[in-house]
Amino acid sequence: MTGFRKSIVVMLAPSLGLIAVFILVPITLTIWLAFTKWSSQTPFATATFIGLDNFREIFGPGSVGRDFKGALANTALYSLMSIALILPLSVLFGMLIHQAELKGANLLRTILFATYMVPMIAVALVFSKLYSPSEGPINQILGWVGIGPLPWLSSPDTALVSVVLLNVWQQVGYFTILIIAGLTQIPQSIYEAARMDGARGPALFGFITLPLLKRTLLFSAVIALINAVQVFEPVALVTQGGPVGSTNVMTYHIRRVGIERAQGGLGSAMSVTLLLALVVTVTAVFALARREERR
Amino acid sequence: MTIRPLMGLFLGSALAAFSSVAWAEDVTVSFLTHWPPETVAKLEAAAATYAKDHPGVKIDVRAVPFGDLLTTLRSQAGQAGGPTITGIYDLWLPELARDKLVNAAPAANSADVSTNWPKGVATAASVGGTVYGYPNEIDVYALNYNKKLFEEAGIKEAPKTWDEFYAAAEKLTNKDKGQQGFGMINSWAAGVVHPFASLLASNGGALVVDGKPQLDSDNAKATFDLYEKLIKSGASVATMGTADANTTGPFLDNFVSGKTGMIIMANWWESALKAGMGERFADIATAPIPVGPKGDGPHSISYSWMTVVSDGASDAEKKAAWDFLAWFNGPTSGENGASAMGDLLQSMGILPSRTSDVAAFSERLKTPFLAGYVSALSEARPFPTVLGGQEFTESLQGHIEAVQFGKETAAEAAAAAQADAVAILEKASQ
Repeated sequence: MTGFRKSIVVMLAPSLGLIAVFILVPITLTIWLAFTKWSSQTPFATATFIGLDNFREIFGPGSVGRDFKGALANTALYSLMSIALILPLSVLFGMLIHQAELKGANLLRTILFATYMVPMIAVALVFSKLYSPSEGPINQILGWVGIGPLPWLSSPDTALVSVVLLNVWQQVGYFTILIIAGLTQIPQSIYEAARMDGARGPALFGFITLPLLKRTLLFSAVIALINAVQVFEPVALVTQGGPVGSTNVMTYHIRRVGIERAQGGLGSAMSVTLLLALVVTVTAVFALARREERR
Repeated sequence: MTIRPLMGLFLGSALAAFSSVAWAEDVTVSFLTHWPPETVAKLEAAAATYAKDHPGVKIDVRAVPFGDLLTTLRSQAGQAGGPTITGIYDLWLPELARDKLVNAAPAANSADVSTNWPKGVATAASVGGTVYGYPNEIDVYALNYNKKLFEEAGIKEAPKTWDEFYAAAEKLTNKDKGQQGFGMINSWAAGVVHPFASLLASNGGALVVDGKPQLDSDNAKATFDLYEKLIKSGASVATMGTADANTTGPFLDNFVSGKTGMIIMANWWESALKAGMGERFADIATAPIPVGPKGDGPHSISYSWMTVVSDGASDAEKKAAWDFLAWFNGPTSGENGASAMGDLLQSMGILPSRTSDVAAFSERLKTPFLAGYVSALSEARPFPTVLGGQEFTESLQGHIEAVQFGKETAAEAAAAAQADAVAILEKASQ
């Protein structure tokens, strides 16, 4: 090995070593444990290899499979709804704030971003009271205009949507900042040229702003997806996965199975499946985006 | 006087005397609990009293919401900085003992528990005959009802049978006022399953018999039917029963604000009811669980809590922890022959289980609210503590909630709950 190569190895070793210890080893360990029967309260040496049994169980017809598939579906639905609400709203708010002539744009930007800085534990606790069906202010306000009362977190039909709204409220400010950053990258000269050709509001937005925001939107969608898949606090604090498992999302369910019930092998199989689902989804999103670009 | 109380007195005094010996080295014992801040303050005060005679020992109290207690215990037990002492629910003990997370009580402490607690309670703190902790609270369920709402509805006395119970629930229901007759809990496993199990026991049934689930028995089917009937008639409104991680939320709000006529709840809710209702707490009365058509009398289910010591703690920590628990649960640490633990439990309206505590608090246990629970103790059926018990409970919770929200019929829920329970308990015993 030449001196140059040696110095590369020496310089990369600390960071690669840390990545190996803190990322690769846990992932490898989780993948191995997914094929074992193991109580998470006992040493790794007690894990017994059982092949694909854990995966058969989590996709099987029994209660374990039913709960897992329910949690996977809830997580997918939660992620889709979150992205579908966060991205358009952040574009809308970003466009509003980006308009130089809007008075109070900086204040609006600060207020929007402030929601992202509030700890989720506080947000969840406050929203649990706001959503209270009988005494919550939201239902009282809706009552003034003849709507409701809505059950919010208390019904399996509305609980997941209520948690999504809480998430959107907290996250939209962060994504608005990302969109503003994307908007500032679009040269004004393009808008001026388009205006000279007669383009106005909707046309400018549809033919210039949106296409040139594509990369920012793609990045935002991926981050929003990853954030959504990791949702945990509002479920753990407010709904406990209920009612009737309607807010039982993957992270909460894995905690329940892998830690509370100490079924480490099953929990690992669920974690690996979630990881694979996320990798496949993110890869598909990037592949679609690349295909669009080639067109 | 029989030899048993004498032995208890001797063991208690011997342990108390031993506990006053100063420690040669500094030891910090952490105590993990789910108790509310005001109770934690009392525990800290007791720990400070203990520390006066044990200058080398520091008791460090940590509190988490009930919903996080098992996770915190499982994720931190045996780790550096993990809890030395933890208050646990007896349902969790078999698995914690199997996984060697809890320390078997030393001989003196084991004899203390066996001698000074009722046999059934000491058994619930044991696995395979080995004592693993000091039992403290014992909980039973009873019907709580709002006397004012009963009066408004023209109901003279608490329902004794399921027919009377259903009729009362219907009379108490007033949709215009947003008032339901009977409140069912959702989103909290024990809160959903224990009232159901109490009604089942009062209908002559049981969740598990000889390790085999009995959720499709005629008694259980009738209990599911009762739930379905209450929901379909509108006498119970499922969306009014949500609980959060602190076991509060709309379910509690609706009862304390007079929008729910009856609930089936445990004695330890006394402090939550008092806090929520203030002077209106006097409107709340307690009655036995209504008896079903196949039942021979009112039966609550009972469960207990205990304090265990982490097996992963150092020898010095374990020694100090067991010593503290002997003192804390012993007859010299509280007022008038009660234990400090007994004092603390009574402050929350919780029934103590140590024989000498029950005697010390005999007057306090005669209050109208608690007397109904004390009378339920003798006929209570212990909640089954089996391997896989937590998963069994959560699975049953899902099916009961499915009936509450019309996602399953009573017959479907009974069949599915039984099939799931058989699979869960079989897998857990392998």
